[in-house]
Amino acid sequence: METPHYVAARVQRALAEDERTTELGIRVDVRGEEVYLRGQVSCDERRHQIENVAREAAPGLRVHNELTLVEVREPGEEEHL
Amino acid sequence: MRELRIAAVADIHLGEDLRGHYRKKIEGIERRADVLLVGGDLTRHGTIPEAQVVAEELSGLPIPVVAVLGNHDYHSDRNEEIIDLLRDAGITVLDDEGAVVPIDGVRLGVAGGKGFGGGFAGKCASEFGEPETKAFVRHTKEIAERWRRALKELDADHKIVLSHYSPVKDTLMGEPPEIYPFLGSYMLAEAADAEGADLFIHGHAHAGTEKGVTPGGIRVRNVALPVIKHAYTVYCLNGDHC
Repeated sequence: METPHYVAARVQRALAEDERTTELGIRVDVRGEEVYLRGQVSCDERRHQIENVAREAAPGLRVHNELTLVEVREPGEEEHL
Repeated sequence: MRELRIAAVADIHLGEDLRGHYRKKIEGIERRADVLLVGGDLTRHGTIPEAQVVAEELSGLPIPVVAVLGNHDYHSDRNEEIIDLLRDAGITVLDDEGAVVPIDGVRLGVAGGKGFGGGFAGKCASEFGEPETKAFVRHTKEIAERWRRALKELDADHKIVLSHYSPVKDTLMGEPPEIYPFLGSYMLAEAADAEGADLFIHGHAHAGTEKGVTPGGIRVRNVALPVIKHAYTVYCLNGDHC
């Protein structure tokens, strides 16, 4: 079995460099045959694309998509400097 | 002198799939703010179609919009064209320079650009060794020097530095320390501290924190969208009431 450390590095690189994702801030953890994706993205489509690219970069492993959507709220209180 | 209400956001990462979404969130911004500052990573891949979405979302607002590019906006090597496109849409884009925005008789000076990395004092890269390392560090050094000049030349009542990369570690808290050198450089803070500013706005560090301060005492705010979790945040300068 490939060393999990290198699998995680390859998936993280793919997420950053693949034109479909270009996501730099996704945390990738590999434990045995399980891959965990964590972080925040701005829409559901991007969340799925990240999962697809991760699956391609880690064939045969089970990918757990734990990404959450950034909820952009209306502006809140202002800060006085 | 009246207070100024500065709306700020960064890392909006727009593209076709988000067309119209951000605009909805900033409708009515003129009731809350006098100017909108956008700290880079306007797009995902730095393509022209993405930049067109950015122009549509940010143009035609009743308040001035000042922006800088981020590293994502450079990815397709179309950064110059993106700058032109946004400027044609009426957005002031700073590319290592300054601009004065008049707001009801108050002159707001904004200086900055994308910025770059290198790390923070004591744990940073030096202009030494391989040409690639030297080029990396020199890029930040040259940017910092241009910002220092731009700040010095600004004739304004208030000055703000607008950047994509961070000037301090404070606002990176939450990011892995190993990647700090890719998130900012102390040289950006040094330039601002040398000439003085009221506020330093940046983005880039999605997992960072909002508030920090430069060694010279300039307030730093990381306004990356995943950090502020609002369409923008408003900072009030020179007044108790906005």
